[in-house]
Amino acid sequence: MVPISAYLILAAVLFGIGSVGVLVSRNMIIMFMSVELMLNAANMALVAFSRALNLMDGHVIVFLVLTIAAAEAAVGLALIVALFRNRESVDIDRFNLMKW
Amino acid sequence: MEAQLPPYSIKMMLPELFLFVWALVVITFDLLTRRKSGSAVGYLAMLGLVICGGILSITGYGRGFGMMFINDPVAVFFKVIFLGAAFMAIGSSFGITNRKIVNHRGEYFGLILLSTVGMMFLASSQELLSLYIGLELTTIPLFVLAGFFKDDRKSVESGIKYMIMGALSSALLLYGISFLYGLSGTTDIVQMKINLAVTQLANEGDIGVILILATVTILAGIGFKLALPPFHQWAPDVYEGSPTPIAAFLSVGSKAAGIVAFVKIMMLGLEAFYDPVMKPNDWGILVGVLAIAAMVWGNVAAVRQSNIKRMLAFSSIAQAGYIMIGMVAMNQYGLAAVGFYTFVYMFANMGAFAIVTVVEDQTGSCKISSYAGLSRTSPFLSAALAVFLLSLAGIPPLAGFFAKYYVFAAAIAMAGSSNGHTWLYWLVGVGLLTTVFALYYYANVIKTAYFAREASPYRLRPLRPALLVIAIGLLGVLIFGVVPETIVDFARDLPYYIAH
Amino acid sequence: MEHLILPLVIFFPSIGALLLLLVPERQADTIRGVSLIVSFVTMLLSFAVYYWFDPVASGMQFELNQLWIASVGINFHLGIDGISLLLIVLTTILTVLCILSSWRSVTKGVKGFHISMLVLATGMIGVFCALDLFLFYIFWEVMLIPMYFIIGIWGGPRKIYAAIKFVLFTMIGSLLMLVALIYIYFEFHSLTGEYSFDLLQIMSMQVPYQAQLWLFAAFALAFAIKVPLFPFHTWLPDAHVEAPTAGSVILAGVLLKMGTYGFIRICMPLFPEATIAYLPYICILSIIAIIYGALVSMVQKDIKSLVAFSSVSHMGFVMLGLFALNQNGVEGSVMQMINHGVSTGALFLLVGMIYERRHTRMIADFGGLAKVMPAFSVFFMIVTLSSIGLPLTNGFVGEFLILLGAFKANVVYGIVAASGVILAACYMLWMYQRVVFGKVTNAQNEKLSDLSPREKLILVPIVVLIFWIGIYPKPFFERIEPAVKDVLTKINGARLSSADDGQDAAQMFIDESKEISTVVIDEGVTADE
Repeated sequence: MVPISAYLILAAVLFGIGSVGVLVSRNMIIMFMSVELMLNAANMALVAFSRALNLMDGHVIVFLVLTIAAAEAAVGLALIVALFRNRESVDIDRFNLMKW
Repeated sequence: MEAQLPPYSIKMMLPELFLFVWALVVITFDLLTRRKSGSAVGYLAMLGLVICGGILSITGYGRGFGMMFINDPVAVFFKVIFLGAAFMAIGSSFGITNRKIVNHRGEYFGLILLSTVGMMFLASSQELLSLYIGLELTTIPLFVLAGFFKDDRKSVESGIKYMIMGALSSALLLYGISFLYGLSGTTDIVQMKINLAVTQLANEGDIGVILILATVTILAGIGFKLALPPFHQWAPDVYEGSPTPIAAFLSVGSKAAGIVAFVKIMMLGLEAFYDPVMKPNDWGILVGVLAIAAMVWGNVAAVRQSNIKRMLAFSSIAQAGYIMIGMVAMNQYGLAAVGFYTFVYMFANMGAFAIVTVVEDQTGSCKISSYAGLSRTSPFLSAALAVFLLSLAGIPPLAGFFAKYYVFAAAIAMAGSSNGHTWLYWLVGVGLLTTVFALYYYANVIKTAYFAREASPYRLRPLRPALLVIAIGLLGVLIFGVVPETIVDFARDLPYYIAH
Repeated sequence: MEHLILPLVIFFPSIGALLLLLVPERQADTIRGVSLIVSFVTMLLSFAVYYWFDPVASGMQFELNQLWIASVGINFHLGIDGISLLLIVLTTILTVLCILSSWRSVTKGVKGFHISMLVLATGMIGVFCALDLFLFYIFWEVMLIPMYFIIGIWGGPRKIYAAIKFVLFTMIGSLLMLVALIYIYFEFHSLTGEYSFDLLQIMSMQVPYQAQLWLFAAFALAFAIKVPLFPFHTWLPDAHVEAPTAGSVILAGVLLKMGTYGFIRICMPLFPEATIAYLPYICILSIIAIIYGALVSMVQKDIKSLVAFSSVSHMGFVMLGLFALNQNGVEGSVMQMINHGVSTGALFLLVGMIYERRHTRMIADFGGLAKVMPAFSVFFMIVTLSSIGLPLTNGFVGEFLILLGAFKANVVYGIVAASGVILAACYMLWMYQRVVFGKVTNAQNEKLSDLSPREKLILVPIVVLIFWIGIYPKPFFERIEPAVKDVLTKINGARLSSADDGQDAAQMFIDESKEISTVVIDEGVTADE
C-alpha cells in the first residue's frame, strides 16, 4: 500500500506548482488554471487523509469543493470573456489601468 | 444538552433561507417587470433585509443540523453587522443602478443579498466544510459585483483581480483545512480543538510541522480576505475599480466575514496553540506581525493617495490591523472589542462610502481634489463626511474612539497579565503611532472640503435612500459614541462563547 | 440645583450650538446674537458657581457622580476646587469677549465659526470639571476639532499648515496620555479588584515607583506639548499667529492653561515620587523656556508672533512656580495662569483690533498711534504693563509669588528666572514704544479710527480684572489655597517617605487619604440620590 506521505507530497508539489503559476504567469487563463490546480491539490490531500483515517467526511468535502470550483470557473471565465471584449488580450501586464 | 435538541432544527436557519428566497424574488421581480422595475426593486431588497433582521431577532439562540449550524451570540452579532452593511450598500446604490446598470438591477441587488446569505451561513457554521462553503458563497457573488460594469475596463479589471485573489485565498484556506482535518480526523471545530489537544498531550506538547503549515496557510487565506499585508495588493485596485457601494460592501461585509472565519478557526479551533508556552505552534505573534504590517503599511500608503477610494482602501487595511490587535489579545475583552470595533466601523465606513458615491454620481470623479469647497455648497454632507472620517480616525466622543479604546485596553490588559505577552505593548505602541498618520490623511480630506478658498461648483443632491444611509451612519457613530454601553454589553456576551 | 450647575455650565454652550444649527446661514446677525446670549448666560452661570463656591472647604465641591459606561467603570464624575473654579470663570469670560471681538472680523461662515466656538467652550469647561480620567480625556480631545476648524478656516495665510501641525502635535501627546490612562486603569484593577477611572479613587492608590516614572513621562509629555514647554513649543507660534483673533485668545488664554492644569490636577497628585524625580529636568526646561521665549520675542517683527513667543516665556514661569513645590510657588503659578489668560488674551484682542484697521501686524508699519488712537494706546499701555508684571497690576502678584517660591526652592533657579522678568520688560516696552510713540511715519496710519464702543466694551472688563487682581487678590487666593494645600500634602508625604525610609508614615498617609476620598465619594453618591 502506498503510504499517506506519498499522497501528501504529491499534493504539496501540485500546490507548489499552482502557486508558482499564479505568481509568475502573465496570462490570465494560465493563472486561473493554476488556482484550479491548487484547489485540486487540496482535494488530493483531503482524500488522502480521509482514506488514511478511514472516514467519509473528506470525500464529501471534495465533492462540494468540486462544485464550488465549477461555480468559480463559470464566473471567472465570464469575467475573462468580458475583459477580452474590452481589451482583446488576456495578458496581465496590459491590465494596468490601476496600479497593480 | 445535545439530546434535547431536534437533529434538524431548520428553524435556526430561517433568516438565511428567507433571505435566499428573497434574493430570488428580487431577481425574478426585475425580470417580470421587464427590467422596468425602477427603484422598486432596490426598495424590495432593502425590505427583505429588514424582514430578515426581524426574523433573526425572533429566531433566538440554538443549534441545528447536529453541530453544523449554530446560532450563538457571535453568530447573531455578526449577522446583524452583515445585514446592516448590505442594507447600507444597497441604500447607497440607487444612483448607480438608475444610471449605469438599468438593465441588470435585479441581479445587482440579488447578488448582494446572496453574498449576505453566504456571510450569515459563515457566521453560523461551527464546522470546517460549512465554513468554507459559506465563505465561497460570500465571495463568488462579489466577483461578479466587482466587475459589474462590464463595459468599464476598470471595473472588469478589478473583478478579475478580485477573482484571482479570492480563488487563491480560498485554495490556501482549503489546503490548511485539509491539514487540520488530517490531524484531528474531524471537521467539527470544537471536536477538532479537543482532538488536537489530545494529540498534543500524547506527543508531549509537539504535533509537528504539519500544524504549523496548516496555521500558516489558513492565516494566509484569511489574510487575503482581510487584506492584511503582504496579502493586500488587490484591495486598492479592486476598491478603485468596482462600483463604489460594492467597494463599501467589500470593505465592511467581506472583511467582517473574514473576521468571523478567523474567530472560528483561530480563536476557537486553534485556541490552545495561541499560548506562547507552546511554541513553536504559537500563531499569536505571527498575527501580531501581520497586524503591525497592516497598521504601518495601510496608514503610510494612505497618506499618498489622491483617489479617495484608494485612500479608504488603505485605511480599511489599517483598520483591519487595529481589529487584529483585539484578536491577538485573546482575553475576555478581546473578542468584545473586536465585535464593537467591527460594528462601529460598519457605520463610519459605509457612511463615508455613501458620501463618496453621492459625490461620484454628481461629479464623476473620486479624486480628493474634487471635494474642494464642498462645505460651502453642501454643508450637511461635508459635515457628515467629516464626522465619519473623524470617527474612523478615532476622535472622541465619536464611536470610533471607543472602538480603538476597547481594542487597546484589551491588549494592554493582556500584556500586563503575563510575561509571555509583553510584546502586545509593541502592538499598542505601533497602533497609537500610526493613528497619528491616520488622522493626517483623514484630516486632509476634511481640509480639502473645508479650507478651500473657492466654493465647489457642485451642489450635491443625494437620493433619498442615500440620505437614509448617511443618516443611519451618523446616528450610529454619534449614539454609540455617547452610549457605547448597549453594544458593549451585547459584545461582552461573546467571550463566554469562546470559553465553552 | 447645586449639583446640576456644573453639567449645566458645561453643556449650555453645546445646546446653544445645536440651536444655532436651526438658524439659517444668511441671518448672520441673529447667529452672532444667539451665540453672544448663550455665551453670556454661560458666563452668568459660572458666576453663580463662583458665588456658591465655599472658599474655606477643602476637597471637591459641586460633585456629581453618575455611572456612564458601567461595564468598564467609566463614570460621569464632575467636581471643582478653587483652581478649576477660577479657570472656568476665566474661560467663560474669554468666550464672551471672543464672540464680541469676532462681530465684524468674521464675515464668512459665521454659523460654523460660532458653533465651533461654543463646542470649544464645552470642551474647555469640561476639562476643568472632569474628575474621571476618561471623561477628562474625552473633553480634552473634544476641543481639538473645533480648534482645528477655527484655525484652518478663519485663519491667516499659512492656516492649513498651522492647523494640521497643531492637531498632530496635540494628538501625539494625547495618545500617549491614553495609553498611560489605560495602564493606570488596569493597575488599579490589580490592586483593588475594581475597574475605575475615578481620579479621586486612583489618587488613593500607591503606584509602584518604576511605573510612576513611565506614567508621569507619558502624561507630562501630553501636558508639556499643550503648555508648551521648551522643546515642544514649535506648534505654538504657527498656531497663534495664523489663528483668527478669537482663536488666538482662546489658545493663549485657556488651552495653554489646560497643560499646566493637567500637571497640577493629574501628574503631581497621582505620581508624587515621579514628580520629585523629574523635578530638576522640568525646572531646567522651564527656565530655558523663560529665557528662550523672551529672547526670541525680542527679535520678532510681527506683533502677534511677539505675543506668541512671550507666551512661551510666561508659561515657563507658571511651570517653574508649579515645580517649586511650595505654597508660594504653586499659588503664584495658579494665579499666573489666570493672569496670563487675561493679559495675553487682551494683547491678542488689541492686535486683532489694529489688524482689522490696517491689515498688517508688522511693528515697522506702525508708530505714533498715541496721537491717532488715544483710547487704544491707553488700553494697550495698561495691558502691556500687566503683562510685564508691574506692581498694582495682576501680573505682579503672580510673578512675585512664583519668584518667591523659586527662590525658596532653589536660589539659582530664582535668579535666572528673575532675569526673564527684566527681559520681558525690555521686549514689551520696546514693542510698545515702536508702535505707539514717535511720529506718525506711515501715511496710512493717520486716518485710523479710534476704538468703537463695542471694542471698549470688550476691553473694560479686562482692565477691571487686571486691577482687581493686582490690588485685591485676596478672594482669589482664598479659593486657591485649600486646593493647593491638598496637592502639596500629597507630594510632601512622598518626600517624607523617600527621605527617611518612612514606609509607615507613607502608608498611614495613604490610608488617610483613601478614607477622605471614599468619604467624599459617599457624600457625592448620597447627594445624588
